[in-house]
Order: sequence, then structure tokens, then C-alpha cells
Amino acid sequence: MKYQDLLVVAAIVALPFIVRPVIATEIWIFAIFGLGLNLLLGYTGLLSFGQSTFFGSAAYVAGWLLKHYGINVFLALGIGIGVGALSALLVGYLCVQRSGLYFIMLTFALNQLFYFVAYQWTSVTGGEDGMQGVPRPALLGLDFTSPLVYYAFVSILFVASLFIMRRIVESPLGKILQSIRENEVRAEAVGYHVPRFKLLAFVIGGAFSGLAGVLYAMLFGIVPLEAISFVFSGNVVFATLIGGSGSLYGPIIGSFVFIWLSESMSVVWARWPLLLGVAFVIVVLFFRGGVVEAWNRFWAWKAFSKPTN
Amino acid sequence: MEGILETHQLSKSFGALAAVQDVSLRIEAGSLHSVIGPNGAGKTTLFNLLTGTFPPSSGKIFLDQKDITGTPAHRIAHLGLARSFQRTNVFPAFSLLDNVWVAAFATGRSWGGLLFKPANKYPEATERARRALSDVGLEHKAHQLAREISHGEQRQLELAIALAAAPRVLLLDEPAAGLSPEETRRMVALVRSLKGRYTIVLIEHKIDIIMSVSDRISVMHFGSLIAEGSPEEIQRNPEVRRAYLGGIAA
Repeated sequence: MKYQDLLVVAAIVALPFIVRPVIATEIWIFAIFGLGLNLLLGYTGLLSFGQSTFFGSAAYVAGWLLKHYGINVFLALGIGIGVGALSALLVGYLCVQRSGLYFIMLTFALNQLFYFVAYQWTSVTGGEDGMQGVPRPALLGLDFTSPLVYYAFVSILFVASLFIMRRIVESPLGKILQSIRENEVRAEAVGYHVPRFKLLAFVIGGAFSGLAGVLYAMLFGIVPLEAISFVFSGNVVFATLIGGSGSLYGPIIGSFVFIWLSESMSVVWARWPLLLGVAFVIVVLFFRGGVVEAWNRFWAWKAFSKPTN
Repeated sequence: MEGILETHQLSKSFGALAAVQDVSLRIEAGSLHSVIGPNGAGKTTLFNLLTGTFPPSSGKIFLDQKDITGTPAHRIAHLGLARSFQRTNVFPAFSLLDNVWVAAFATGRSWGGLLFKPANKYPEATERARRALSDVGLEHKAHQLAREISHGEQRQLELAIALAAAPRVLLLDEPAAGLSPEETRRMVALVRSLKGRYTIVLIEHKIDIIMSVSDRISVMHFGSLIAEGSPEEIQRNPEVRRAYLGGIAA
């Protein structure tokens, strides 16, 4: 077990004492969302500006089934993961045909397409009012209406997600995706069908987003229209960059910073996004590797400036 | 004797420009066959056709008498054809070992566990990767990053990535491009050491290298083949002297 894992466990235990359990839960949900994005952004070098497509689709489908058919939580999560992966397969298939700016615009445009479907289809999604009344049914005798019980449940799923993502990035697939990030032409020449591997990254990322989407819907009892909008897509990119896209743990830290800032500051100061803007500018100008890089540099600097007698 | 790699009247046009025109080549198994010609003669385009970067406008390519025309680039390595690039084309943030490892894994025996088995638990690929590094003399730098080594070493790594695929035919596009005289000598020795173990097709500008290592030489000029023969024959060929050696040996 690495020390980072101990930190994660410590954070899971400590967090509900520091912030309200709902916010603590949201942090881990958003971290799952970020893990999925980072497989694309950090490992494959693909900037997807449409991750909320998968997050929102899963939340709507699973939310609908929870609300009207009373399916159990496991089934809802499974369906959410499936919808996330499937929508990512569809969107990804179209997006990986292009690269660079065109790729980014495609992810964004398709996100808008999904958004307007959700916006118009009010009988199902509730349109601007959101899909309200998503229940959080009990599971195996556990009362999920208790915020702490639900927090524990989400934490376990987060740890499982982190474990799975680590297996993926340390597998040959992880190496291949990174080789695509480093040099697409050479990756193709040594024998990898680059678009297919990009698509695979999309599908895996979509599955993680789907899981996060369902957990989110159950957390707040609502699927807001925002959950499928470019705002959410931007937020997860933002959070991941602030945390550090170069590392497995970056999106987790990013999620923590982002959710904590937005939840605690928005109450005090309506212009709080200014702070995020400043944080973002600092990261882009000085710490391209986000908080993770700042942290590493701090320790390198400490070790360097320590007197050596 | 039949060639391991053959082209029949291969042509490629970009708009009005005929980059490669009716090129028929036959590469004998185990030989070192060089393709020379002035800048813009179509040598690299020929390589790009052989490795599926783009399909030919007309003509055919045969590997082991099997028609492989139009095979996409990512399939080519799996057929036993590997190339190095004229401009260094490595994975900069990877260690040298990882650079060759991804190539070794691509053409490895099994992709089982692709999504969950730790990458360091593929002994066959790792072994092949290490051998490729030691073939080019870089095994002592296996854990350094590719962007941190010298240009000369990057050229060696470029070659190692091609070797890691365990190809039967090796296509080398100006392996000595941009090297100092000393580094060039080392590269020539390296190419010579690979002779016999692989069938090699070599593009090179430096005429002294070509003459000393090649079994056969084909000369391209404005997209067409104008001569083919042993190094001695090529040196005597008046047309070649006029087209290519003109400035140097006339």
C-alpha cells in the first residue's frame, strides 16, 4: 500500500467531520467523474469537453427507472455504468475520427445535442426544472436516507473505482494510451489501431462518468439540467487540471478543491467563481501539473534548502 | 529466387505531382537493399507506401508473395514489416525501455490481460524490449527518459523501436540523418551488425555508407527507378552519375 492510499483512506474518514456529509459525498462522486475524464485527458492526451453527456445520460436513465420502476440500487448503478459506456461509445466513435481542435469541438457539439434533447423532452427529464423525486432506496437493509450511510457507500465505490483505474493505467492498455498521447504516428506504426484505443478510453471513461452520474442523482434526489450541460463538462476538466492531469491522484485532489471551494465559498460570496479563475490562472502559468506538481516541487525545494551538515 | 518484399509498378500522385512512378522493386530475403536518390526523389514516399501510411494510386505490394496493398499502417507491423523514421519519432516522456516495450508488446504473442494485468508482468515483451535496446547499445540507459538523451542516442533508440517488433523486414529511413561523423561511424557499424539477421531496406544520403554496406542499390530520380545493381555497377552507371552523383563524383 502506497502512502497516497493511506492519505485517501484518512481523507475518507476525516471528511464528514470537516464538511457536511452531503458535500463530502459529492467530493467522492466528482472524483469518480474526474478519474474517468483523466484517462482521456491525462493518459491519452484527449481533451474531452463533453463528459457530462455520459454523466447526465446515466443519471437521467437510472433516475427514471428508480423513480418509476423502483429498481434496486445495484441495478441502477449497473444500468448507469452501461448507459455511460454506451453513450461514450456512440459519441466517442464520432469524435475519434478527428483530432486536435476538431476533436474538442465535436465532444462539445455532441454534448450540446444531448443537452437540448434533455431540455426539450420535459415529460421525461423535467426540462429546466430537472428530474425531481429520484429516490434513494434502501439496500440490503441499509437505510440510505441517512447521509452518513450513503457517504460510506459512495466512499466504498470510490475506492473500488480508484483501484480499478489504477489497474487500468498500470496495464498494457495504460502504456498504449500514454504512447498515443506521446506520439500518435509512432503508436500507429508500431502496430496499434489508434482510433480504436481512443474509443476504448472513451468507453471506460464513460462508464466511470455513468457511475458518478447515478450516485449524484441519488445524492440530491434530482437530476438537474445542468448535469448534462457543458458547465458540468467544463467543471470536471477544470477540477482535473487544478488537481493535476499528469497523475492518477490529480483528479481526486482537484475534486476536493473544486467542490469544497464552490460549496463553502458560494454561501459567503456570490462572486466565488473569481477565486476559481485565479486558481486556474496560477495553475496554467506556474504549475502545469496542478496541485500534485506544486506539492512535489515544494518537497523538492524543502529538501534542497535544508542545511546539509 | 523470389523476393521477400516486392512492388509491382507502384505509383503515388499528390494532385499533379507524381511522387512515385511505376516503381517495381524486388528485395531478396536476407539482403541489404539500399534506395538512393537526390532530395525529393520519392524515397520516403515509397516507404510510406510500403508501410501503409497512405495507399498507392496504382500498383501492388507483395510480402512473401502475398498481396498486402492497402493494408493500414497499424497492421503492417503485425505482418513483420517495421520501419524507422527519418525524423526522430520516439515517445519523449517515456523511459527508453518503455519506448521499445510498447513496440515489443504490440507484436507480442498475446494481448491477454490487456486491461488489468500489470504491464511489467509480460516477460516475453520485456525480454524482447531489453534485447532491442542492447542491440543498439543503449541498455545501460534503459531507465532514462527519451527526451533527455542526445540526438545520436535518439537515432539509436529510433532503430531499437523498429527492432523491438521482431520484424523480418526492416525499413530504415536515413538512420544517420543529422549525425556527427563519429556518430555516423557508430550507426554504420550498427547497421552492419544487423545485416544478415534481418532483410533491410535502407534509404540513405551519405554515399560512402551506401557503397560500403549495400548488397544491392536502387536509384530513384523524380519518382522513378533509373537504375538497379550492385554497388560497383551503380558506381559505373553513367546515368546515375549524371542524375545523382553529378555534383560529387563527376
